[in-house]
Amino acid sequence: MAETRDVIIVGGGHNGLVAAFYLAKAGFKPLVLERRAQVGGAAITEEFHLGFRCSTLAHNAGPLRADIVRDMQLERHGLKLTTPDVNTVSLSPDGRALILYSDAKKAAAEIAQWSQKDASSYADFGLALGKIGKVIGEALLLTPPNIDSPNSGDLWGMLKTGRSIRNLGKKDLYRVLRWGPMAVADLVAEFFDTEPLRATLAARGIFGTFLGPWSAGSSLVLMLRAAADPTPAGSIQFPVGGIGAITIAMAAAAKQAGAEVRTGADIAEIRVKDGVATGVVLASGEEISARAVVSNADPKRTLMRLVDPSHLTPDFVQKIKNYRSMGTVAKINLALSALPDFTALKNKGTGDLLKGRIQISPEIDYLERAFDESKYGNFSRNPYIEIAIPSLSDPSLAPAGQHVMSIYMQYAPYKLKGSDWETQRTALGETVVKTISQYAPNLPQTILRHQIITPKDLEETYGLTGGHIFHGELALDQFFTMRPLLDWARYNTPIERLYLCGSGTHPGTGLTGGSGANAAREIAKALKK
Amino acid sequence: MPSVSSGSKYDVIVIGGGHNGLTNAAYLAKAGKKVLVLERRHILGGAACTEEVFPGFKFSVCSYVVSLLRPEIIRDLDLPRHGLEILPLDGTFTPMPNGDHLWRVNDHGKTHREIARHSRVDAEAYDEFGKAMQAMCRFVKPILSMIPPDPATLNPKELMKLLFIGKRFQGMSSEDKYNQVQLMTMSAIDFLDQWFETDVLKATMSASGIIGTFLGVRSPGTAYVLLHHYMGEIDGAFRAWGFARGGTGAISNAIADAAREAGVEIRTEAPIAQIMVKNGKAIGVALTNGDEIYADVVSSSVDPRLTFNKMIEPGHLPDEFMEGVNRYKFRGSSGKVNMALDGLPNFKCMPGVGAHLRGAMSISPSVEYMEKAYDEAKYGHWSSHPYIDMVIPTLTDTSLAPPGKHILSCFVQYAPYKLAPGLDWDTEKEKFGDNVVNTIAEYAPNIKDIILHRQVVTPLDLERTWGLTEGNIFQGELSLEQLFFLRPVAGWAQFRSPIKNLYMCGSATHPGGGIMGAPGRLAALEILKDGGA
Repeated sequence: MAETRDVIIVGGGHNGLVAAFYLAKAGFKPLVLERRAQVGGAAITEEFHLGFRCSTLAHNAGPLRADIVRDMQLERHGLKLTTPDVNTVSLSPDGRALILYSDAKKAAAEIAQWSQKDASSYADFGLALGKIGKVIGEALLLTPPNIDSPNSGDLWGMLKTGRSIRNLGKKDLYRVLRWGPMAVADLVAEFFDTEPLRATLAARGIFGTFLGPWSAGSSLVLMLRAAADPTPAGSIQFPVGGIGAITIAMAAAAKQAGAEVRTGADIAEIRVKDGVATGVVLASGEEISARAVVSNADPKRTLMRLVDPSHLTPDFVQKIKNYRSMGTVAKINLALSALPDFTALKNKGTGDLLKGRIQISPEIDYLERAFDESKYGNFSRNPYIEIAIPSLSDPSLAPAGQHVMSIYMQYAPYKLKGSDWETQRTALGETVVKTISQYAPNLPQTILRHQIITPKDLEETYGLTGGHIFHGELALDQFFTMRPLLDWARYNTPIERLYLCGSGTHPGTGLTGGSGANAAREIAKALKK
Repeated sequence: MPSVSSGSKYDVIVIGGGHNGLTNAAYLAKAGKKVLVLERRHILGGAACTEEVFPGFKFSVCSYVVSLLRPEIIRDLDLPRHGLEILPLDGTFTPMPNGDHLWRVNDHGKTHREIARHSRVDAEAYDEFGKAMQAMCRFVKPILSMIPPDPATLNPKELMKLLFIGKRFQGMSSEDKYNQVQLMTMSAIDFLDQWFETDVLKATMSASGIIGTFLGVRSPGTAYVLLHHYMGEIDGAFRAWGFARGGTGAISNAIADAAREAGVEIRTEAPIAQIMVKNGKAIGVALTNGDEIYADVVSSSVDPRLTFNKMIEPGHLPDEFMEGVNRYKFRGSSGKVNMALDGLPNFKCMPGVGAHLRGAMSISPSVEYMEKAYDEAKYGHWSSHPYIDMVIPTLTDTSLAPPGKHILSCFVQYAPYKLAPGLDWDTEKEKFGDNVVNTIAEYAPNIKDIILHRQVVTPLDLERTWGLTEGNIFQGELSLEQLFFLRPVAGWAQFRSPIKNLYMCGSATHPGGGIMGAPGRLAALEILKDGGA
């Protein structure tokens, strides 16, 4: 009953599990409490139709940080990643398809069919992203420095990054400074002439954000993502067993290191006494006290719902309220009786080409118009779409000969004008199917089941405030020393012994594990004092 | 035809007689240099000019209000003695389609009551906001008078400058730092959303974040431009925004007068064909009439596209620099409609002649209105419901029009320089003008009956007549990647160019556009430092 735990981790998403692992390694006994019946948060595999399993939310293993994969020995814990030859197939309304191969040489050869110049720029672009990404990547490993009084560790980190930045040379240094605040549409135009190529690569700068390709700062998103993964369009990797295989392996690693993981443990409140976090209260009424509480939930959920805001200053509450986390992404999963025929790939031996990412982002203006609608509270009628058919790489996900199609749809603004998501759910699904059908006309006949996940579902079922898949907008003012807030970017909060370790902290972005690993390092340091 | 003589005739030739070129010349001459200013047009001032477009009606054709003119320039050049007189422009009046309005004035109590009419919370927040913005201004102001550092060098002097900025930032309170960071990175609306709830208040305030840029009120980076507005409002020497008596051209004329007094020679109708370069050094200019004029230094106040692409023969400049020049974004987004009126507009929401007509009148009724205006421009159309900033300078300065007549100056956004395929500005011009009149008529229906003459200035006109590439009124977008040490080209923000003795001194250099004069002054200081002249 009055048992006192060492460290409680609120939420068993990938960052929570990564933090649990590193804290256990540092000698603590973390207890991970997951509200749902399975761990994984937004990185899960679920059966949504009899015999059909799908990566419900995230579908691309993307750039897990290599040192984390190594430290946690995820492969030994069962993680098996497959990398398709085709990175991206980008569909055009004129019936053509731009194919980007994972192999750089093959990619260039294919692009040369569109533009010789772009083929060589593609290599340059990859190199530039790699060089700059490497330096930014170093910053992503850092705990954001304390701006007011940097300590020696901060200074050392900054110095090291500063040195790497200088080593970039004048040209690339200026690129970093210039690109950061730029619109990604301008950035890709500096390299490429081919419209579908521009749009396909620019899409990486807007994915998951409330930005259009013409929004200033969208280049920063691209650079942040490139830091973890310099492949121009973003690498693509599917774990066998769906994305949930990653978090299952992570949970196993954390347990082996000494962490305890409890599912079905819904936390109603983080207990605070005299400004110090003392434990949690579960929805069942059970109380668990602890030396420290680490929240993998997003900053708003943690500090405005799980903690009674009366423990915080009004000024801080105001700032957290202003932390922007309006989601823009919806997810649609389809159970298919057969592989649909994509018109553009008809004469190209369909199967293998569909193993990577299939994208609908034919031109910059298409993406921008999709964004325009969302500014006024409507979902895009001609949305930006990213599709994966993971059952092509891992047939175990669906019955023989049948498939699952995992679809990201953007923009689906969390707040609809004059309507709500329950009313719009069907219309959203129809829009997505209709959009894809323009490129694969027989799609509707193959659909056995839809699963439509609106931003509201993301909030209610998966606990993402505002339905934001990154736990808060990736923007210049919510990044590095400002994520989630200036002065509170070091995984600590104004409440003593309450820490954050989710994507709402630096470095954020997708499925990298960076936030969890960085947070664990800081928390271990603080708790050992 | 003169050949290269042993001694140059002038120490410095300044290309362009706009306010920055003239300021540059005046500072150089005051330091003892022999300076020649060459202006292509028949009048001085560049975009800061007054022209009698219709008999008896003198328009500030392009730029129409002033607030940012640096106090040190006013002081150093003794501009009031040379005829500069700033008349106050009090308040901003925003009519609303529902018959209501928002009218903010300099009188604190009045504005407070007016905003409270819309929202009590906002009235309180407005005061706080003003204080916060002033704190931000204190941080940014010294940067405006600073030569941008070069972050890519290890030169200790440059690093000291960066350190200076860092130290100032450190010196701010935690609250101010938070605001500053947000201001530098957020959109005007995201920023204002944190302070206010009244839509029309946010809309009309956000307008100052987009003026002259190809960005919308929701585009990140626009919050920073809001700050420029406040910098004008707290300057000690002159109060707030104002008109120059005699129109905006009077400012240029005052600077020209100061320059002449210091010994500057000014020639109008002297278009330049080429900047002459020999052995990597600028040695003078060739006019279109064939005259060649030699000088030790050439200082160009026109934009980099004109300076480096048009006036210099290819081959003199390194490729990397030219890539930077070619990448530099102009993207003009605004036009002007100037009208000669037989009376005064009568607003439905506030009928009659009143003090509201003496300030700025802003057609910016809602955030959505502003953003939609931008959406159209993104795809190459002028806004069917544009943002319009209007002033009637004749209510303050009667010398600009015949007795009983008035001038209405309308700044209109968005008017994209590059129109969608199939459209061109020569055919769109009058339609664009009609649309502005129709838009105003929705709020002040009598406007159509009182127009005597109308002059429409499109972005293409700004380019053709005033030499503003792509019609950008700031000689290039004021977006974050084109500010400070990145303006106009990364590595070349210190007014110098890869050609020795060729300098830049226009709005395309730090700290950018508006009638500020800072680029002209800072460039002069750098030229003097180099001692080449």
